[in-house]
Amino acid sequence: MIEREDLESPQDIQWCPGCGNFGILRALKQAVMELGYPKHEFFLVSGIGQSGKTPHFINLNGFHTLHGRAIPVATGAHVANTDLKVIVHGGDGDLLGEGLGHLMHAARRNVNVTCLLHNNGVYGLTKGQYSPTSPHGFVSKTSPPPTGVPMDPVNTIGVALIGGATFVARGFAGDINQLTQLIVDAIEHPGFALVEIMQPCVIFNPKWGWDFFRERVYKLEDDYDIKSRTAALEKSFEFGDRIPTGVFYKHEKTHFAQELQLPEGSLRDHTNDREEIQDIIDEMLV
Amino acid sequence: MDLSFNIGGAAGQGINTIGDLVAQVFVKNGLYTFTIKDYMSRVRGGYNFTQIRVSDEHVHAPVHSVDVIIALTKDAIVNQRERLIEGGVIIFDESLDFEECERCHLPLPLEETAEEVGGDVRMMNAAALGALLSVLKMPVSLAENALADIFGDKGDSVVEGNVKVARTMFEEVKGELAQRCDHDFSSVENAPSKDRLLVTGNQAIALGAMAANLKWISAYPMSPSTSLFEFIIQNAQRLQIGGLQTEDEIAGLNMALGASHTGARSMVTTSGGGFSLMVEAVGLAGMAEIPIVIYNAQRPGPSTGLPTRTEQGDLLFMLHSSQGEFPRIMIGPKDPLEAYYLTKNAFRLADKFQVPVMLLGDQHLAEFSMNIPRIEIEEISMERGKLAESSDDSYKRFKITEDGVSPRAFPGDEGMVVAASGNTHNEFGHISEDPDNRNAMVEKRLAKIPRILDELEEPKVYGDEKADYTLLTWGSTWGAAYEAMQRLSQDGVSINHLHFAYLYPLKTKRLNRIWNEAKKIISVEQNATSQFAKLIRMESGLSVDEEINKYDGRPMTPEWIIKELREVGVR
Ligand SMILES: Cc1ncc(C[n+]2csc(CCOP(=O)(O)OP(=O)(O)O)c2C)c(N)n1
Ligand code: SF4
Repeated sequence: MIEREDLESPQDIQWCPGCGNFGILRALKQAVMELGYPKHEFFLVSGIGQSGKTPHFINLNGFHTLHGRAIPVATGAHVANTDLKVIVHGGDGDLLGEGLGHLMHAARRNVNVTCLLHNNGVYGLTKGQYSPTSPHGFVSKTSPPPTGVPMDPVNTIGVALIGGATFVARGFAGDINQLTQLIVDAIEHPGFALVEIMQPCVIFNPKWGWDFFRERVYKLEDDYDIKSRTAALEKSFEFGDRIPTGVFYKHEKTHFAQELQLPEGSLRDHTNDREEIQDIIDEMLV
Repeated sequence: MDLSFNIGGAAGQGINTIGDLVAQVFVKNGLYTFTIKDYMSRVRGGYNFTQIRVSDEHVHAPVHSVDVIIALTKDAIVNQRERLIEGGVIIFDESLDFEECERCHLPLPLEETAEEVGGDVRMMNAAALGALLSVLKMPVSLAENALADIFGDKGDSVVEGNVKVARTMFEEVKGELAQRCDHDFSSVENAPSKDRLLVTGNQAIALGAMAANLKWISAYPMSPSTSLFEFIIQNAQRLQIGGLQTEDEIAGLNMALGASHTGARSMVTTSGGGFSLMVEAVGLAGMAEIPIVIYNAQRPGPSTGLPTRTEQGDLLFMLHSSQGEFPRIMIGPKDPLEAYYLTKNAFRLADKFQVPVMLLGDQHLAEFSMNIPRIEIEEISMERGKLAESSDDSYKRFKITEDGVSPRAFPGDEGMVVAASGNTHNEFGHISEDPDNRNAMVEKRLAKIPRILDELEEPKVYGDEKADYTLLTWGSTWGAAYEAMQRLSQDGVSINHLHFAYLYPLKTKRLNRIWNEAKKIISVEQNATSQFAKLIRMESGLSVDEEINKYDGRPMTPEWIIKELREVGVR
């Protein structure tokens, strides 16, 4: 059993007071405790951004990598050791800007990693430029005045669905209980799981504040069918006065490491068969 | 005996098959071979050729002058004719309109024989081979054995058809036609070579990686690195090596870093443009101290450059790739056999020092093939460097040690929490902006360099230690330079050859000695700006006296080097 003290932040947390990331971190810790796996089996891989700092604020295996590149690093880690529960943390800029291609391909490969996308609709760490999910017309230092962001935002849920993710969900940093459950389910899901987490950045995107989301988020109804990808896709366009949360889509099929038919467990412990290599050489003899 | 063949035609005509056939025939007969493929970046048409050199002594480079041309198109005659020696042979299909025949130029019914005797135009290869053996007055049984070997898995009738075609052509040329030509190798029945492994540089590097216990490879196709990646993937199931063709090179290197950080020996393969995309992740490997082997099969740049040609133009780019300062190791193999051993060592060094190791090949090394002794896999090389032992909660992934190398643990190790970061971090792997920590971490990483130097081999000197002239080379230009040096020595020139396989960090002891002893140091590089000479100047303050450069994308020949050397006054 993992206790809360085991997960205590190794570093002073550097997020602003009121930041949505605190809620995400709480839910993550809660999920890790609930899952009941040994501590060394968790591995957090993050990109760059406020979200990317998460591994420094929880006492688990963690690797804080490059902007946008957490997903390929996580993919490599997972195939190298399939016992690991690999969890990616990235922002909307990180995973939908620099990293959008990787996200799509990881979804298509159905890599068995969990991807937690901290969506605050803005670039936090670089102080307030618009992000791929900033709404049309969003005003920031890098949007052309006076119109603001001259294009529509990325539909995160839709992108994940089209990519081929087999677990697609949305949570809210202000609903820790629901978010914890979503993270637990995502980690338990044997395939690529994307959880978009609506996360207020109280400094650079005050419009998307706590109240904004509290007034809008609602849980997908009980009769919502999580097996239908087309229904999920249709639902993904609902983002305005009402913002659905919960599991949009879930489907099980073989995941990437299984497709590759790699040895179980850790590749580190595997040695290439000497005689087999000699055979490969000898087949090339003239 | 030192014979060279040029087999030329359009892409898609099966030049490679004839080339492989010819090379195999001679290897089986105990000769040393050296083959290059010169081709354009197109799938069909154009003009391509294979050059095969065959000798009863070791051969290391392509040559300019050609003894035999086998031409499948008129271009193949016209384009190569000025390289043909006097009395040289041209074998071509009689349908090609080429009138100015000399004594030993043979228009032959290659296509017709293939169709009528074998029932398949594709058997033109066998026809050409039969004719060739006849002209050289070698036994047709050589072709029979080789054809049986090569086409064996396509069934008896294919083998029989090919053999019949070869024999028919052999008989047709025998006698009057063959007598026209002066070549007679009927005595070369059992030549000395026992080297039966016919490999390219890319294949040898792949074998080295397998023997070094490669467990993960992720790459994006780019000539001329691709064949290495393909070779490993084709054998991945047999060895349980994981591999993936990624969405791009950025993913390729980052994925390999994820795998390596988690304990799997990993590599990526690419070529210049692809390496450009990897550059940011090279820095991640440097900062997070992740072992990785990066293979760059260089080709002429910038940008997409000449996709199917060769150059050594990425040395300084790779040396300086990624922002900031961190140690790396750069290695440039000279030929397939050396590439095998250097690749094994590359993985060992990567693990031992937890740094990126760059293997600098080029199109020439990647694709030329030669026969080398059978490689015996003795043991799977698993020296993993320092590993962490204790399993307590206070594991420091980046513990400061005297030699700069921290004991490694992997995410997933019981009792350990392994934290790492591409940001400047403290010993635990957590972000730190503390200036003292920053200094300590920079120094820790750079402290590896002297230890790395201790492990690297000195450059090799070929020829007399003391000579008036010294040729300076690195990587795959070794072969042409070595042969040039040998020929000049035989002509009485006082010359030797200093060659580097380990390029960076730079060993300077032998270099200093040679510099003191030679009257003139002449760098020979397959690039326009003498990058290695610059690297030497940067690291040692020593300058070369003359620079010889080739950057037309074609590999060097000994003749070309000799001509250039004469021009700078070498006598
Ligand atoms: C290659 C690269 N480009 C740009 C940056 C600068 N950068 C750091 S974080 C960031 C954006 C972060 O936004 P987001 O991913 O939404 O994360 P947040 O900080 O909002 O959590 C940028 C552009 C970088 N570190 N690396
Ligand atoms: S800037 Fe925004 S995202 Fe960053 S810590 Fe502050 S509130 Fe959080």
